[in-house]
Amino acid sequence: MTDLLNQPSNSQFKFSREKILAFTLILPSLILVFITYLYPAIFTFVISFAEYDIIRLKIKKFIQFKNFEFLISNYFFTSSVLRTIYFGFLICVCTTILSFLIALLLNEKFIGKAFLRVMIVLPWAVPSVVSGVLWGQMFHADTGFLNALLYQLGVISGYKIWLADPLVALHVIAIAEIWKAIPFMTLFFLSGLQSLPSEVFEAASVDGANVFQRFSNILFPLMLPIAIPLFLIQFVLAMKSFDTIFVLTRGGPGGGTTTLNYFIYQEAFETFNLGRASAAAYVLLIITLAVVLIPTISRFLMKFFWGNK
Amino acid sequence: MKKNLILKNFFIYFSALIVFLIMFFPLYGLILTSIQPENIIRSRNLSFFPTEIIFTHFAEVLKPNHISNIYEGIKNSLIVSFLTSFLCIILAFPAAYSLARLNLPAKNIILGTLISIYFLPTILFVIPLFVILVSYQLDDTILSLVVPYTAFTLPFVIWILKSFIDKLPVEVEEAAKIDGCSTLQLLIHIIFPLLRPGLIAAFIFAFILSWVEFLTPLIFTNNLKISTVALGLFRSTIDIKIGQQAAAAIITLIPVTILMIFFQQYITKVVLSGSDK
Repeated sequence: MTDLLNQPSNSQFKFSREKILAFTLILPSLILVFITYLYPAIFTFVISFAEYDIIRLKIKKFIQFKNFEFLISNYFFTSSVLRTIYFGFLICVCTTILSFLIALLLNEKFIGKAFLRVMIVLPWAVPSVVSGVLWGQMFHADTGFLNALLYQLGVISGYKIWLADPLVALHVIAIAEIWKAIPFMTLFFLSGLQSLPSEVFEAASVDGANVFQRFSNILFPLMLPIAIPLFLIQFVLAMKSFDTIFVLTRGGPGGGTTTLNYFIYQEAFETFNLGRASAAAYVLLIITLAVVLIPTISRFLMKFFWGNK
Repeated sequence: MKKNLILKNFFIYFSALIVFLIMFFPLYGLILTSIQPENIIRSRNLSFFPTEIIFTHFAEVLKPNHISNIYEGIKNSLIVSFLTSFLCIILAFPAAYSLARLNLPAKNIILGTLISIYFLPTILFVIPLFVILVSYQLDDTILSLVVPYTAFTLPFVIWILKSFIDKLPVEVEEAAKIDGCSTLQLLIHIIFPLLRPGLIAAFIFAFILSWVEFLTPLIFTNNLKISTVALGLFRSTIDIKIGQQAAAAIITLIPVTILMIFFQQYITKVVLSGSDK
């Protein structure tokens, strides 16, 4: 590309013409994205400081930080913030570990590998409503496979209503999310593993390093640059999960599965308190940014003070 | 050494079986539920194989007055997903070319911003969009779904196409330019055909992401005038007939599953194309 630009025919005039062309080509996309993201984001920011009249569709009055003050003093809100962070962390830890193990398996040679890969990728295309229905039926109190299996094995003495317990329900939702999140991360890990030079492993096994030494000294450090971004992305995606919660528990029982995203939905579209919902949406945005930025900043600081990674 | 190899092989096949069971069993359970009569589903005799196969649940669900309204849902979802994917490709193709090949200032910042938008909480944008749609009485229309879907998917599609264009050999374009090819001709006659795998992959991604979207239609079609498959399926969960619910879920799944199985190689290519740059 640089060769093309540095050709003598590219005068100063043509150079700027290429810039104009480049902008024209990307402009429609940028306009659409700005209309549907930036303007709404500003709108949300403005009404997070206001009371919004849902009937007349306009701002009633500005109330400064009242929305935020209300949220912070609200037990449901603070508990849903903590729950969201726990939920996101749980999902991304489990997904990362399981996906990595599955990717290690798929990196080996065996019969039926292509078939297994299709089976592993499949849950990604499953709409989360379907996965909600599916796991709901799995854990169903009357007809679920889990109850039947555990009952016949004699683990439980009677059929349990799994989704009636807030803590169990939260973990059932987490299982559904993990099952859906595994395919994509596995593919990314697999492509990372395949891009590693095989000489490294051969050299290590000649030197007599066992499986665990090879893992902790070679594979783990090499995969870390791939694993960290995937981990963070999964964290962020898990925190904005909505569909499974909506289908399985509707945030219940007793608000036990209300994550922040669901809390915002309820405030906005069930009680129609758009101001409060917007304020909560900005809290979610801040948490999301913190998740992404804290590792980046801490790495930068470590580099700055100790001069290494 | 040979014993070690057998042990290793045994371990590999054993873990492959476990992984297969974990990933596939939930779907198998759904299929099983959809083809068995309600009384068998509800009986407490656990069986992992169908004892009696019936298709009445599917027939019931496909009746026009069923609560999940699957016909209407499939029709709308097909229209919306196709429109979204087309719009995404039309908008993303020039944008991706511009980002990949042309001398666009601050291109890393633009691409980075676009990609990071994808990970921001959707609800942040949905609240004001809902207000806008309602005030212009555009809610409950196909348009109210296509435009937000396109915007939500576009950054991702641009990224996919860009990583595919990055892989094309520059020499072809250079040769064409020397022959006096304009940028528009270059895009249509040279890049477009070369980019076919990338375009297919991007189209499928956009299609699947639109097909599975739930939060946006839930909010933007609040008067229930139009329905998508995901919404219809959700409505069937209000019903207590487990078999029909499973059948509706299977019908929702069929189009995306077919896409996944046939185009799995393209989808894998997307991930692989991003890695070794």
